[in-house]
Amino acid sequence: MVGTRLRFETTHTTEFVDITDRLRAEVRRAGMRMGRLHLQSLHTTLGLAVNENEPLLLRDFQGLLERIAPEGAGYEHDDFARRLNIAADEPINGHAHCRQLLLTGFATVLVEDGDLVLGTWQSVFAVELDGPRHRQLALQLDGEFAESSLSPFRGEGQGEGRGSSAESSLSPFRGEGQGEGRGSSGSATLVELELARQLLIDPEAVAVPMRRLVEAGGKRVRPKLVQLTAGIGPRSEPLRAAALAAAVELLHNATLIHDDYVDESTHRRGQPTVAAAEGPERAVAVGDYYFAKATRLIAEIGNRDVTLTIAEALEAICAAQIDDVALRGAFPGDHDSYLRVVRGKTAALFAAACASGALFSEAGPEVVGALRRYGDLVGVAFQMADDMVDFSPDSGKPVGLDIRHRVLSLPLIYASEDRAVGPEVRRLLAGSLGDAEVGRVADLVISSNALERVREEAQALVETAVHELESIELDGLRPILISLARSAVDRTA
Amino acid sequence: MSIQLLERDLERLESLWDDGLSDAYRSYMEAVAAYEPEAQPRLALAAALIEIGLRLQGLGGRAAAAPSLLMGDLCLARSSRLLAGAASQSVQIAFARAIETLSAAAASDSSAPLPRPRELLLRAFEAK
Repeated sequence: MVGTRLRFETTHTTEFVDITDRLRAEVRRAGMRMGRLHLQSLHTTLGLAVNENEPLLLRDFQGLLERIAPEGAGYEHDDFARRLNIAADEPINGHAHCRQLLLTGFATVLVEDGDLVLGTWQSVFAVELDGPRHRQLALQLDGEFAESSLSPFRGEGQGEGRGSSAESSLSPFRGEGQGEGRGSSGSATLVELELARQLLIDPEAVAVPMRRLVEAGGKRVRPKLVQLTAGIGPRSEPLRAAALAAAVELLHNATLIHDDYVDESTHRRGQPTVAAAEGPERAVAVGDYYFAKATRLIAEIGNRDVTLTIAEALEAICAAQIDDVALRGAFPGDHDSYLRVVRGKTAALFAAACASGALFSEAGPEVVGALRRYGDLVGVAFQMADDMVDFSPDSGKPVGLDIRHRVLSLPLIYASEDRAVGPEVRRLLAGSLGDAEVGRVADLVISSNALERVREEAQALVETAVHELESIELDGLRPILISLARSAVDRTA
Repeated sequence: MSIQLLERDLERLESLWDDGLSDAYRSYMEAVAAYEPEAQPRLALAAALIEIGLRLQGLGGRAAAAPSLLMGDLCLARSSRLLAGAASQSVQIAFARAIETLSAAAASDSSAPLPRPRELLLRAFEAK
């Protein structure tokens, strides 16, 4: 959901302001494809109407309002002697309030194919009843958005995507801590602000390397899941939800710092890893610091279920990381081992992000459970897509990095099981892996049907995840969660 | 002294039990007498896991090799889960702050010796 304000000046006492084109522009700007545009007057003498923009008809409407609630007809509201707390410039406008009662202060317009659903002669009007004045309407756009507007999976490794110009145009409430829309860039900006704030107050020795990692990019999928699911239950606290989301992102990054040391990775998100740039001792300390800080920030939120959910996920991550390293002796492993490791290393925090947001919002246990399963399935599918990216020349990264580092990878497992290429893949993986061997293994994987099998499996998981959402009330969030799940798989970077 | 821990609390960490974890646990048990009896074993184990975990990782000294680092990570994560289930919010926060203090000191270029983990962790119990 995206929230914004429409501001305008009126020039007459009574005026029908046609706002149709401006609403269309807001829909386009938000990249909304399908859903609902909600409007709400923020004034008691400004109404809303949907009708024909024909000047004589508008004069008829004005005449009707004037006949039903004529000016100066002895409104008690205008008897200032009987009212309390009258402002010096209090207008005599009982008639305008009564006229507004005849209109409406709220309206919803459907959106399809990126445009308002209006009949040929229908226009949307803000109806000024006590002008001229400065006026504003609250707008919320709720529904499906174009991939470029909503997908959290763009810009990985490029340091873009978060707070980019395209995204920031969606909401004017960035950084104000209000008007928060679910799935809006405003939510994402809150997380970025919280991350920046937390990194500002930490000792430089730990903050500098973490800042480098955080500012280098990342998809921010986990905080997005926290924020989305934090909007489901009856308790809505966007600022505290952003604090929880930022803590989850810090925790994720802390695990990456230790992972990079263990994997002997030299770069992440285009930047040198902490271990490579500043040595393993610093990497251990920075990882520990942000592990502790993130768990503290989560504890400070004061919801035991949330704390426990994240702690259990962290434990699953660590256990899976141990399994992952142990399995490297039997590289490339098998499907069951792969799933066990991926469920822990990746899916556990996805599931915990979904569950913790829902728990934070005090959603019911069936909703929490369904979202936890959704997160788990999307997390596994996300990792499978990540594995496929390693074989994509469009990813922006050298092809075959996972092969070189002997990282558990489902395409490699499937290729090694392939009747045609399997024997050669297994033979190559059993030996030392130089550039030629890595390139050959990558070619063999691409030439087999391994990538297609992985893609189909990931898509099936996503559809199962989507199915999990069908039985629960999500208060309009379903399209965003579906879009997010599908974009987890449909990506090349 | 009876060991009232669940199997799950020590799962995967059995090898550490005889390698310093049980001693640390017993030491911390003496510090948790003021807590509810059923919470005491888990609180003591949580503190012991932090102490042993940081030692395994080589925090403040030479970084451990990957397997030890990962085992240390699991110790810290297990500790976090135990605290989430058995400790008050203020104790959870105090334990996290103790690790923050130790790791920030380890990350700094200062040649000053690292604070003693046990002292910091014992102090964290006072946040009850």
